[in-house]
Amino acid sequence: MKKALLLFLLISSCLNAQNGFEQGNALYNKGKYSEAITAYEGVLKTKKHSAELYFNIANSYYKLNKVGPSIYNYEKALLLSPNDKEIQNNLNFAKKAAIDDIKEVPNVGFNKMIQDVTSVYQYNTWAWIAVGFSFVFLLLFLGYYLSGTTLSKRLFFIGMFIALLIIAISISSALFEKSIYERDRPAIVFEDILPVKTEPKADAPDAFLLHEGAKVYILDTLDTWRKIQLTDETQGWVEEKAIKEIK
Amino acid sequence: MKRYIFLLLLTCQGIFAQVQFEAKVSKTTLGLNERLRIDFTMNDDGDNFVPPNFEGFKVVAGPSQQISQSWINGRSTFNKTYSYFLMPSQRGVVTIRQASIEIRGQVYKTSPIKINVTAAIDIPKDPNDSQISVDDAIHLVAEVTKGNPYINEPITVVYKLYFSYNIGITNWRELDKPKYNDFWSQNIDIKNLQVEEGTYKGERFRFVVLRKTVLYPQKSGKLTIEPLSLDIDVQVPTNRRNMFGQYLMANDNKRVSAGAKTINVKPLPEAGKPADFSGAVGRFDFRVIPSKTTLKNGESLDLNVSVAGTGNLKLFNLPKPVVPSALEMYDPVHTEKVNTPLSGMTGKVSDSYAIIPQYKGDYPIKAMSFTYFDPSLGRYKTITSAEIMVKVLDGPSVASNEPAANEANSGGAKQAVSSTAHFQFIKLKTKLVPTKKADFFDSALFYTLLFLPFLFIPIIVLLKKKKEAIDADVVGNRTKRSNKLAKIFLTEAKKQINNKEPFYIALEKAMHNFLKAKLHIETSEMSKEKIKEILLTRNANPETVSDFINLTENCEFARYAPASSVTIQNDYDKAVEIISALEKQI
Repeated sequence: MKKALLLFLLISSCLNAQNGFEQGNALYNKGKYSEAITAYEGVLKTKKHSAELYFNIANSYYKLNKVGPSIYNYEKALLLSPNDKEIQNNLNFAKKAAIDDIKEVPNVGFNKMIQDVTSVYQYNTWAWIAVGFSFVFLLLFLGYYLSGTTLSKRLFFIGMFIALLIIAISISSALFEKSIYERDRPAIVFEDILPVKTEPKADAPDAFLLHEGAKVYILDTLDTWRKIQLTDETQGWVEEKAIKEIK
Repeated sequence: MKRYIFLLLLTCQGIFAQVQFEAKVSKTTLGLNERLRIDFTMNDDGDNFVPPNFEGFKVVAGPSQQISQSWINGRSTFNKTYSYFLMPSQRGVVTIRQASIEIRGQVYKTSPIKINVTAAIDIPKDPNDSQISVDDAIHLVAEVTKGNPYINEPITVVYKLYFSYNIGITNWRELDKPKYNDFWSQNIDIKNLQVEEGTYKGERFRFVVLRKTVLYPQKSGKLTIEPLSLDIDVQVPTNRRNMFGQYLMANDNKRVSAGAKTINVKPLPEAGKPADFSGAVGRFDFRVIPSKTTLKNGESLDLNVSVAGTGNLKLFNLPKPVVPSALEMYDPVHTEKVNTPLSGMTGKVSDSYAIIPQYKGDYPIKAMSFTYFDPSLGRYKTITSAEIMVKVLDGPSVASNEPAANEANSGGAKQAVSSTAHFQFIKLKTKLVPTKKADFFDSALFYTLLFLPFLFIPIIVLLKKKKEAIDADVVGNRTKRSNKLAKIFLTEAKKQINNKEPFYIALEKAMHNFLKAKLHIETSEMSKEKIKEILLTRNANPETVSDFINLTENCEFARYAPASSVTIQNDYDKAVEIISALEKQI
């Protein structure tokens, strides 16, 4: 009985979440953007999310000219679905409405080449690839062990070797990607005008100014202060409450 | 008669008794280092002048005698004066005693004068010096409107030169222009000096306004205004007169300075001070006006940010508009239309920004706010402008990176439909997943799945080894097969447990099969003796062996003899018993 009740609750909460999403869509279509946001955020409160949900929230904020929350939600959507063209397109729109135009210093060199390869998949996907190839390896071993002719034995042996190599590569890629994921702490500026300090003190001189919607990367933490870096590699300190971490 | 003579005498006395003899001092209070002039004047000629002994004084000069006689309208006036210059030799109240003179045989005496001698004063004043009168005749005064203003609240300093009616000013030069440190100052030029009339310390004076300055204090605390020093050429009347009886004027030079003034500047209150306060003090109106809000690609718009009113207009910066990066904003053109009357700056300052949009779309220019301090109310006021939406109707879209090249290429008849050029609509379908998702990588499941195939490898190897060993062992294989067969036959027998004949056939067959498997003998060799022999050589229990023989024999008999189901069951049980026993023994 208890189990059934629990199951019912689970299903009904699922349905509610789905309803909230559709309700938000309807409100968005009518141009009631702030109501749409409340509906979407009700879905988030059920501890469920999806790239589309964040995308729709971001669109609503964009329509309300709230650049900071808009960019924040696009970035969240991109985290869940990194290769979505629509999200990237709308994020570009939101970025153009932001005040700061921060240049991106391109990451070049060997490290960048490795990262290009490893960032094709998320580290969990790399893990699944490794597991898959360990089973492939088993099959190849069976083939090698049980086959009769020398030629097929040779082919299976080479196959085993390749499978091992792929496992090694995918595990190291997963490790690399995970380390990057953990090191990479992007955040979005939520304050209208944010003076970035040279030191983690309120009376320290201003290094530069940031505006709402600027993307920063957190490098260090000291009490309520965060050391941030921009994409053009300038650094400074800001207070925790002025920015919101994406992850 | 006697009475008449007396009356006559009295009247004569009246006519001649108008003899005056008196002592006049230039001052009754003087410093120890000052000099005193005393004049003994009479209006009739006298003789035997006996001066007092001037106790407590030292005679510096004198006596000097001066006689003047004039006839005006047949009346003659006569004046004779003895003058002394005295220097006090002690402090305190000193009495100058009587002097006496004999006029027409009559002795006249002056009344004694008390002089108060005080401590030495700084500048001994020469009573006969024209400077003394100049000191009293010229005053330079700095008038400050407010002694305790706020920072950046205007105050004015007006320098007035008072001079008395009996002196003339021929020229004046500024010796030292006052420096207004910690003030922002603006001089108000005075083109024509105009002489006005006024009073200074209760006396009537003429004055000119030399200089007007508006000051905006830039710092709180006690600030001093440096004095203004002037060098003035004056004409002072002397005691001498020309032949027409006018006073002769002497040229003199006089330096005057308006004393330094201290102004106590109040700081602006910290309570309620907004963060964006840029130091504007006064009363202002703030406006942000775009020249247009809807524009095409390539057009520019002017954003005019202006502050108008009264206050320190030149002393603060206008707030800067914040525009999205898609709008390119150029440096502003700053214009000031400010007048500075005595009440402070009034007018308008404005910044005009040229803004050129880069991409198509709607862009907000954030609301701007301007904060100023109103000194008359004593608090801060903030004016916030409305947010301005700029609509750019056409132009390259945000997402396409090579807009110019595209347009150049598509110069033909067809218009390329760019798919990514628009802001995308929301997504309508979704699959919600729990927010908290455990990572697969690095989890126990991942490691199990990863190493499971490798664990299988030794198992496979072992299995294969075992299979090979089994394949190699021919005898073992046969035993296995017979065991299996024996069991199969026994199961066959069990199936037939209700049918007497097939049961016993099956039972016998099973026994034989069992022996075949166990003893490696062929069916042809199956004779009772042989079986007994072999079983006994294999150390089987003779009892079991005889049981076995009995059972096989029984099988033959029972096939044809009547037997109940109970005996059949007994026989089956017996067969199982014997086989298991034999199996153990051999």
